[in-house]
Amino acid sequence: MIDSLLLIALPYVAIVVCIVGSVWRIRTQAFGLSALSSQFLESRKLLWGSLPWHIGIGLILAGHLIALFCPELWRSLLANPTILLVIESAGIGLACLSVVGLMVLFWRRLTSARIQAVTSVMDLVVLTLLLGQIVIGMIVALQYHWGAVWATTTATPYVWSLATLQPDVSFVADLPPLMKAHIVGAWLLILLIPFSRLIHIFTVPLEYLFRPPQKVVWTNPRHHEATAFLSDDEARRDFIKGMAALFVGGALLSVGALDKVFRFFFGPRLSPKEEAEIMGTRVKRLEATANEKKLELERQTSDYIFVAKLSELQAKEGKYFIDFAMCPALAFLDGNNLPNLISAKCTHLGCTVLNQVDSQGRILCPCHLSYFDIATGVPNAGAPAKEPLPHLPWAVMDESGKMVAHKSANGKIIGTAPAGNAESYSVFLAKHLAEESKA
Amino acid sequence: MSPISGLNDVVAFVSERFPVDKLNFHSMIEKKEVPIHKMTWGYYTGGLALLFLFVQVVTGLFLLFYYQPTVSDANLSVEYITKYVSCGALIRNMHAWSSSLMIFFTVVHLLTTFAMKAFDRPREITWVAGVCLLLITYGFGFTGYLLPWNQIAVNATKVGLQSVELIGTYLPGAIADLPRILKETFQGEASVGQATLGRFYAMHVVLLPLALFAVLGIHLLQVQLHGMSQGIDRAAQKSEKFFPLFILRDLSVWGVAFLILFVLALCLPFDSFVSFPLLEPYNALGATPPGIKPEWYFYFIYYPLELLPFWLILLLSNLLVAGLFLTPWIFRDTSRTTLGFLALLGTLYLIIMTIFGHNIYEIFKGGG
Repeated sequence: MIDSLLLIALPYVAIVVCIVGSVWRIRTQAFGLSALSSQFLESRKLLWGSLPWHIGIGLILAGHLIALFCPELWRSLLANPTILLVIESAGIGLACLSVVGLMVLFWRRLTSARIQAVTSVMDLVVLTLLLGQIVIGMIVALQYHWGAVWATTTATPYVWSLATLQPDVSFVADLPPLMKAHIVGAWLLILLIPFSRLIHIFTVPLEYLFRPPQKVVWTNPRHHEATAFLSDDEARRDFIKGMAALFVGGALLSVGALDKVFRFFFGPRLSPKEEAEIMGTRVKRLEATANEKKLELERQTSDYIFVAKLSELQAKEGKYFIDFAMCPALAFLDGNNLPNLISAKCTHLGCTVLNQVDSQGRILCPCHLSYFDIATGVPNAGAPAKEPLPHLPWAVMDESGKMVAHKSANGKIIGTAPAGNAESYSVFLAKHLAEESKA
Repeated sequence: MSPISGLNDVVAFVSERFPVDKLNFHSMIEKKEVPIHKMTWGYYTGGLALLFLFVQVVTGLFLLFYYQPTVSDANLSVEYITKYVSCGALIRNMHAWSSSLMIFFTVVHLLTTFAMKAFDRPREITWVAGVCLLLITYGFGFTGYLLPWNQIAVNATKVGLQSVELIGTYLPGAIADLPRILKETFQGEASVGQATLGRFYAMHVVLLPLALFAVLGIHLLQVQLHGMSQGIDRAAQKSEKFFPLFILRDLSVWGVAFLILFVLALCLPFDSFVSFPLLEPYNALGATPPGIKPEWYFYFIYYPLELLPFWLILLLSNLLVAGLFLTPWIFRDTSRTTLGFLALLGTLYLIIMTIFGHNIYEIFKGGG
């Protein structure tokens, strides 16, 4: 019964009174449609009260309106836990801001003699109601988490049921009493709009956001003269304020920056798993480096370097190996079933040549597009590379280590393709042959 | 010309460039004025290069704490910085972005001061020191590029160093071997490896910074001693105090520039401009991956190198460097209008080669 009274009867009464009363007031007191600014009478506390209050309540109301008019959009946004958390915390923060602003306004209205002179009982009632409304809203938000979400399935359909003239309290009937109080408070405030300063909501002073700032001042020249001596003081005070603001801002910034700097130098504290992962990669890289050094050592101390089994070599795809100068080289199979070893270090700028042979028997350097003939080593006409890729001398040995064929110093091939099982023959790069060919 | 009068000339030259009587706070700071005209923005470009230098020093010191200059660990330590160290990715990204911005503003500074004839007597030393600073800055870019030790870094360095050796083929007999010796000195061994990394690291974090600060000291001292150049042919009507007005403006420009750098570094990884295979750790035994390129600020010489004969580029770049050093004497009597036109041509060339270099390359060499 009481629910029907407060949640159905009261809203309709409030809305009707609000509309009729506002229209009446607009028609009869067009100049009274204002917040009845008292900036003229007292401006400093007004700044610290009015600004936070209007910023806070404006954004909070905007949030309520989005939840009311676009519940689907709102819910899909809040499905992301990060956004939900941000919105809830922002809501609490803004509520704190508006409460602080409202308290300053309240205090100002109660203590300033000038303001007292223009304060009506209705002002005090509105202030009290607003303060109560916000505090209750905050308690609800803190007590029953994620109100931004659950309100879209309770309060939103309730308001819509009123708007569509099919009032249904069941949406909000089971809500905690505090939440109901919050709803009732909202209707009471709407009810009071035509009778109080709240009427200024309808003036929607959007141009305030874009017009150049104005300040209400005395135009009486005597007042100006009387306060002229203050301007020096004011300049000094403004300077000190500016410095203080810079100092505080700078201090806050440095605290943040120092925190990050400290964390950077403190270093990460990794989980054992991450630690093991990094260590694993590290060992692998060290091994790769060690292997490279081993290759280098092998090339310095041994006369023959194993390249591949003869059976592994192909005519169309070269096998990479490292020559005596620690440079990359390629091993192919030539037409006579013998190896063809050629340097893979481009004679232009030293890139490593690719190992795929194209239809014209050439391999490509990817850096500047030189094509080298693998039979002669000569680059194509017009290529950036001018010098041919050098061929490397080789030796083919059988399982017992007996040399069956080799390419001699002058590039002549001695011996013939080994007959029979290619598996048993190995291709070697031969140092003394290499040195001979150099000489 | 007798030796005595020659000596007197030298003394006169030096004393005009280093006026000792102006070496005090009053003439260098308090009395200094900044002319106001349509090119006043040019006075801010050097300061911006300086800001990004500061950022480089600070972020570089940060990176120094984790980076390890060995072939096995370099790439991993960079990965460790970006992946695990708190704010490491931001710091590294700021270092990368700021390096590009520093070079950008150094070049813009060169072009504007050229157009404003800021090298005019008695500011020759400022200009010559500035050209040295530009070369040092490019040196920073080249040595720093190798340090992450990934495919593109090592392979691009290889190509860059090999180009040095190629110069030898154009030199006569006795000195033909000099470029190769020079290359191997920088490289430290037969191919790019641990010795190269160590040397580049030493240059990047010790030698080049020392050289930079020494030359920068001379540069800034000269700037303050001689004040701002007039900048336009007819002396400006208006001017403002260097201290505090211009300094404050300069600082606010710095603030905005730093904010832009910070947002860039926060939102856009510098590495995202390179395809991933090129960012893998360097593999000494594998083939060179396709797409090896230097940093964008080398494009103005890289693409011509790809398209034109090497000797031509060699000749032109030597002429350019010589021309830059001799600018104060070559263009002594040239009007600022003409200089402005030349600077505009240079700017156009740099913009076209940097942005459309690849397209030009495709047009001439595409499908080859």
